Amino acid sequence: MSASGGADPDALTMDVVERSNNRMVLSMGPQHPSTHGVLQVITEIEGEIVTRAEPEIGYLHTGIEKSAENLFWTQASTVVERMDYLSPLSNALAYILAVEKLLGVSETIPERAQQVRVLLCELSRLASHCVWLGTGGIDLGAISTFFYAFDLRERILDLNELAGGARMHPNYLRIGGLRDDLPSGFLERLDGLIAMYPPRMRELRNLLQKNPILQDRMIDVGIVTSEDAQAWGITGPVARASGLDYDVRKAFPYCGYEQYDFAIPTRTEGDAYARFLVRLDEMDQSIRIIEQVRRHLVAGPIMVDDTKFTPPPKETIAVSMEALIHHFKYVSESFRVPPGDVYAAVEGPRGELGFYVVSTGENKPWRVRTRPPSMYNLQILKKIAVGELIADMVVMIGSLDPVFGEVDR
Amino acid sequence: MSEANAPIGTIGIDPTAIRPAIEDARIIRVVPSGLRAELAALKGQGYAMLLDIGGVDYLERIPRYDIVYHLLKYQNGGTAERVRVLCGVAAEEPAVPSLCDMWPNANWAEREIFDLYGVTFSGHPDMRRIQMPTEWEGHPLRKDYPLRGPALERTPRPSFALKSNVGVGTPASGRTAAALQRQIATARGQTAPMPAADAVEIAQSGQSPGAVSTAGAASTKELSAEPNAARGGQLPKDGSK
Repeated sequence: MSASGGADPDALTMDVVERSNNRMVLSMGPQHPSTHGVLQVITEIEGEIVTRAEPEIGYLHTGIEKSAENLFWTQASTVVERMDYLSPLSNALAYILAVEKLLGVSETIPERAQQVRVLLCELSRLASHCVWLGTGGIDLGAISTFFYAFDLRERILDLNELAGGARMHPNYLRIGGLRDDLPSGFLERLDGLIAMYPPRMRELRNLLQKNPILQDRMIDVGIVTSEDAQAWGITGPVARASGLDYDVRKAFPYCGYEQYDFAIPTRTEGDAYARFLVRLDEMDQSIRIIEQVRRHLVAGPIMVDDTKFTPPPKETIAVSMEALIHHFKYVSESFRVPPGDVYAAVEGPRGELGFYVVSTGENKPWRVRTRPPSMYNLQILKKIAVGELIADMVVMIGSLDPVFGEVDR
Repeated sequence: MSEANAPIGTIGIDPTAIRPAIEDARIIRVVPSGLRAELAALKGQGYAMLLDIGGVDYLERIPRYDIVYHLLKYQNGGTAERVRVLCGVAAEEPAVPSLCDMWPNANWAEREIFDLYGVTFSGHPDMRRIQMPTEWEGHPLRKDYPLRGPALERTPRPSFALKSNVGVGTPASGRTAAALQRQIATARGQTAPMPAADAVEIAQSGQSPGAVSTAGAASTKELSAEPNAARGGQLPKDGSK
């Protein structure tokens, strides 16, 4: 393979390129079960202590930003879903919020669409944290956690499938609202999930939280201070475990998050165990939001009533010539968005997930720039890994929770 | 900031100048020489977090590139504010001062812009590609870079694919097995291809599959000597578009 991802090719011809006295340069990854994807960390170690670590990324670069520039406004939301593949709906929502701001319709999105967006994004966060919990447990040898966590995740993916037709990338959110209304049976399944969540979470916490082995491996490992979090642009659970309580849902509310009653779990230790606890608490808060949405879900339209950028209702296409033409135009040449640039962000499972979108008034975006939270969170690895055991690096990577579809895009 | 408000050439469209009033962030436009001073001043005002550095290529506009900085001002329990700093960069030898000494996380973001736009950051400690392979030529996010890359440099088919027995564009039919057998025979240079035979007929003919494969292995050497003749024009030649 010619893709060397930007690493110095001379330094990487062997796993061990230099060995003198007690010093060794190791290449960890890019294919390694504990790097959560294709991350390569070129590590200089003395004995078991890391003296230098340089993460190399780019092995999963797929040019999503370039692809998005060459697709219609409606199609681009499908490819941006592929960035953070553990929480695709957050990506799509951030992009759609940016486009809606350019279109000037942010204030007119129907209440039900907003609620369902919140509902599905919180479910995504739960599912994403389940993957983190399961794979993070495997990193430490706690295999059984994986099955408990993935069972919970599977039920959430079932809901995704019910709503959007696909488990992983439902492509359910649309500019202006939602593709369809929630199908019958969705809310009953959701109630089942809400009911099974507390006992399942209790089991997971019993398995892990007080586990002395886990505490031994995590406490005081990979400490990110509050100042570091500010300086390195760290957001999301990693920042909140370091005492920085920044959360886009509270700081810049979107989709009506200001109506819901939820807390921002924050800790001050800044180590891997603090990040572990913050994420577990965050899952509890997510289910709290989901319960509130479920209780207050209103009936009504799911799409903005503006035929300029919404497809005609399906049932009219067969009976109305105008609707058929409209549908043809909508699909074959999309719609135009007024020129301008805008930044919109959501709180993804990994932090502030932002999109800087530029329109030149065409039917395709001129530029879709992502602010990838994983990339900024991962970058601090080269600071926190130094002076720690090489074995702890696995814990650090797991606790930073990068997703390489998003780091490399 | 008279320098910062220097007029922008209007050959190409500049969406940032005609944007509607959207309240997503305060917007400041600077020139590269004034960038560090402006950002240092903003950092002093409490915009302590560098959220993101992005790039935009406006192709026909002067200056051609925009480097887009997003900063965040946030204190625990307080309100949050974002500011966007746009820095125009000329098309010839585009360069911007690096921010790596002010914000360590600028490192990867600036490398990414260098990689994908070819804008260099003076003072950057490690200015090399980050997403694309090191030996890559060109900067993919530039607007004059074709979507699928330079066509002449498209990756050639791997060697095993050239030896494939199945021609490109083999029609899907109900008799795939028979078609495959015919193609295998053709590829191996057997003068008389087997008659259209399905699996049942092969079994009845008494010829075991093992015998076929050993005969094939013997002639594979000839095939590798002259692959083009054996392919019989079924595979497209490299470079044919």
